[in-house]
Amino acid sequence: MKIEHKIYLSNAVHIILIVLIGMFALQNLNEILTKFRFTVIAEGLNANFLEMRLAEKNYFLYGDNEALDNIRTRIDQTGETLLQVRPDIIRAVGAEKYTTLQNHLHAYTQLVDSISKASHRDSAVQQKLREAGQNLKTFSENITDLESDRIGAIIVGSKNILLYSFWAVVLFAFLFSNLIVRNIGQSLRKVVDLTRAISTGNYRKIEEKPSNDEIGAVISAINTMAEELQKREKELVQSKRLASIGVLVAGVAHELNNPLNNISMLAQTYAEVYDGLSKEERVSFMERVDEETERLRVIIHNLLDYAKPKEQHLARATTNQVIQKILALVQNMLDVSNIKVMLTLGEHLPDIYIDEHQIQQVLVNMATNAIQAMGKGGELRIVSRYLPDNDEIEIEIGDNGKGIAPEFLDHIFDPFFTTKEESGTGLGLWVSYGIIKNHQGNIRVASQVGAGTTFIITLPSCKKLKRCTDGEA
Amino acid sequence: MAKHSIMVIDDEKIVGDMAKLSFEQDGYEVETFLNGESALERLKERRFEVVVTDLKMKGVDGLEVLRSIKKLYPGVKVIMITAFANLDVAIEALRDDVHDFFPKPVKIKELKASVKRALGEE
Repeated sequence: MKIEHKIYLSNAVHIILIVLIGMFALQNLNEILTKFRFTVIAEGLNANFLEMRLAEKNYFLYGDNEALDNIRTRIDQTGETLLQVRPDIIRAVGAEKYTTLQNHLHAYTQLVDSISKASHRDSAVQQKLREAGQNLKTFSENITDLESDRIGAIIVGSKNILLYSFWAVVLFAFLFSNLIVRNIGQSLRKVVDLTRAISTGNYRKIEEKPSNDEIGAVISAINTMAEELQKREKELVQSKRLASIGVLVAGVAHELNNPLNNISMLAQTYAEVYDGLSKEERVSFMERVDEETERLRVIIHNLLDYAKPKEQHLARATTNQVIQKILALVQNMLDVSNIKVMLTLGEHLPDIYIDEHQIQQVLVNMATNAIQAMGKGGELRIVSRYLPDNDEIEIEIGDNGKGIAPEFLDHIFDPFFTTKEESGTGLGLWVSYGIIKNHQGNIRVASQVGAGTTFIITLPSCKKLKRCTDGEA
Repeated sequence: MAKHSIMVIDDEKIVGDMAKLSFEQDGYEVETFLNGESALERLKERRFEVVVTDLKMKGVDGLEVLRSIKKLYPGVKVIMITAFANLDVAIEALRDDVHDFFPKPVKIKELKASVKRALGEE
């Protein structure tokens, strides 16, 4: 469900709850009001009865006919009132009680009617009247008390229910919003993780199908973006490689042109001066042609070799051990040029998973370049360290030689690029670059003219590649 | 009549050797050099009428030779040959007043014709 809808739903539920509680309270209040009105009437009735009894007492005390009339008047009033409030009484206490009340009144009325003349002295009559009156009064008071109790009960009940529902609503609101916040929080965290992974070049997608809501829409969009980014990166790498191939092809053409020219010139000159040549000289010409074709063959073979995708024989290796091995290989060169070695090898470095022969080739290439840049008596600096953020090993090989001009730094890994005056195919760094890239690593250069050059190689740990046991698939 | 003198500069030995054989057949005097420095040194000692030089050499390259000659020995004609023939380089050389420009592999006949023209212009 969309988050929008979840929130609407929550609001609706809250509103309904509040409305229900309100209606309940309102209903109770109405009931109380009704009962209250009834008690007012009942009190009126009771007051009437009181007056009636007073008149009754009066009559029996003084034999006053006026008192008797008074009683009769009161009875009539009561009768009228009873009729008026008949629906209220029936609603409040039921028809049965009303009938009983009426009967009591009727009995009383009859008794009063039977009194006349001189019965005010008749104590038996007095007694009967008194009893009937008492009945009436008591019954009426019971009804009133009943209603009062009921009102009390309703008020207490309402109070409790309102209190409980208040807490229930608060609890519900708290739980529900908590749920939604956690829900949204989780989804957002997924999005953050995803974008973070993408920014480090790790283009994995979120595997599970994105949910059918706003967050899901965001995740879908990010997945699409990640795909596009990956495509663009591939294209970029491809075009870089094509550019590199362009340079390579130009370099190849140039390399091949010299032997070709030699063969051509040998052939042209041979044809021209043939008559004047001795047998040995003629043979010599052809031998030189052959030499040049051999030169061509070697150049082409080397290039094919460089162009072949490198078959790797990968195994777990310890970085510092590899470094020590290549140092042994270049030791002679170091001694000849009187170069000091400064080693700063990190401790407890995680192992790497490499084709050791190829990586040695790269390190030897770096070291050789450094030695050649320094001439006599320089310092070769080798550092190894662990980069925990990326789970990678970093190797630095630096010299304090003449350095490389900034305009060349961009091209330093191009094939056939060389700043060296002496021989060198210019392919060493290009090949090294390819090897490191094939190991999911990275290689870059930092240099300052006059101060020196440093190559920085990073390689993933065997754990990052999930290859710490060779058996892992 | 004094023989015409030609200097050939190329780090490929065969180029110098073949050029020497070929031009000497036609009665030229030829001296060959494997790098720019030794050639420029020689030029201090002896006057050559035409200098044929490769473009891309270690150390002093063909363009430097061309500029030096134009500065120090303006009458000397320079012809450039190169395995590395692209337009930018050709334009640069032409700007520096190179007489002719040949990509490798070189046709010796054409080279000879160009040398003749260079001498004819004297």
